[in-house]
Amino acid sequence: MHMSTKRIPRLGVGGPVGSGKTMLIEMIVPLLAAKGYKAGIISNDVVSKEDAERMRRTLAKEQGLIPEDLVIGLATGGCPHTAVREDPSMNISVIEEMESKHDYLDLIIIESGGDNITTTFSPALADYFIYIIDVSGGDKYPRKRGLGIETCDLLAINKIDLAPYVGADLAIMERDAKAVRGGKPYVFVNCKTGQGIAKVTEHIIRDVLFESPPKTTTIAKR
Amino acid sequence: MCMSTDKDTDATTATAADLSMLQLSDSFFPTGMYSMSSGLEAIFYSGKKMKAGELRDLVVAFLEYQIGPADCTALGNAYECAAKSDLQKLLEVDRTIFSMKLIQEIRNASTRSGTQLLRCIRSFVNDDDSKILGEYEDAIKGGRAFGPYPVALAVAASVFSIPKRRAGLMMLYSFSISIVGAALRLGMLQHFDGQKVIDELKPTMIKVVNTNIDRPLEGIWQFAPQIDLIEISHEKMSSKMFIT
Repeated sequence: MHMSTKRIPRLGVGGPVGSGKTMLIEMIVPLLAAKGYKAGIISNDVVSKEDAERMRRTLAKEQGLIPEDLVIGLATGGCPHTAVREDPSMNISVIEEMESKHDYLDLIIIESGGDNITTTFSPALADYFIYIIDVSGGDKYPRKRGLGIETCDLLAINKIDLAPYVGADLAIMERDAKAVRGGKPYVFVNCKTGQGIAKVTEHIIRDVLFESPPKTTTIAKR
Repeated sequence: MCMSTDKDTDATTATAADLSMLQLSDSFFPTGMYSMSSGLEAIFYSGKKMKAGELRDLVVAFLEYQIGPADCTALGNAYECAAKSDLQKLLEVDRTIFSMKLIQEIRNASTRSGTQLLRCIRSFVNDDDSKILGEYEDAIKGGRAFGPYPVALAVAASVFSIPKRRAGLMMLYSFSISIVGAALRLGMLQHFDGQKVIDELKPTMIKVVNTNIDRPLEGIWQFAPQIDLIEISHEKMSSKMFIT
């Protein structure tokens, strides 16, 4: 296999189990595709490849946005944070294979396995890191801090529609997010309805892709 | 650069090589070994209850019938090639051991670990200090080599003047740790039992290295069909915690 010398920008998506990482990706990819950007996805799954298969089904089979072989599931030996931080070698290997076979991609998205609030991505793996939490974990989460919440490039607070039902105060979450993140961006989202997703996509296009135009206008079909 | 030798000719050199050995065999070194179970996960999910002694015996089988005669032989030969900067022979060893990785998951894991190992050490080793390192990595990038882990480790060991036998022990130790670590994470045994198993494997590791490290390439072999079947079973699992 020939290694590509062209590095494709990489976006990491991390967050606790059930926070909405997969759904965030499922909402982002169509918006990027609508603007002509093509993405490949590596889904780190702790136990099963269910998330990868779900994305393959929704993004590839149902919406035809990306080829099926561009959604790759990678098991992580029960160590989701190791796979994206201390030892991202397996992820990097898969990314390099993707880059060499699909150099027309504009973006590679790496979804970490569900982990705790200390999850971060190695800068060798991801150029930009979105950390997603959801309100059902309680409005205490931003002020609990944790490396993921404090240092990510973009904090996404999901499932905002559930806030009244779980007693979470969005104003408190916003206040605390501002305080702990020292001016770094955050966004409230509802991945079910799409609320806030356009904002996330804008961040990606501006801060990861630097608003460069899509590489091609058609998806390479295998 | 020093020619690698089993003799400790200089206390300073020996200390640096010893530390390099610790660095490369540390679980913190980024080669993805934490994500491999070598099929143990398939055994676990088959419902078989394995005691610590049986796990030890499984690792012994791996070492004596597969990793020893194949990977250790490849490492020994690759080490000599690297020490002599013989790229062509090194590529021959590369192709040979790659062709013996029968299961695709195992083959992928080996080449991914190997190529990432080389990438990592090349980030802090000067190309002037090791031409063979750069040449081998370039051969992999150019599609002329695959970068399986035993060969990559051999090149790395040669670069750091780690004696060949110790490099063999490093590989067998890391392999054993990856299986015991997988067993711990699968809940098959607890941490003290894990350390006991590792301790009990030491005589086997020493014996396997001594038997295989100087074996000529044409004598390379492996025969562990039941292990192959276990690894095939793992490949076919729809739900996995480990990549092998």
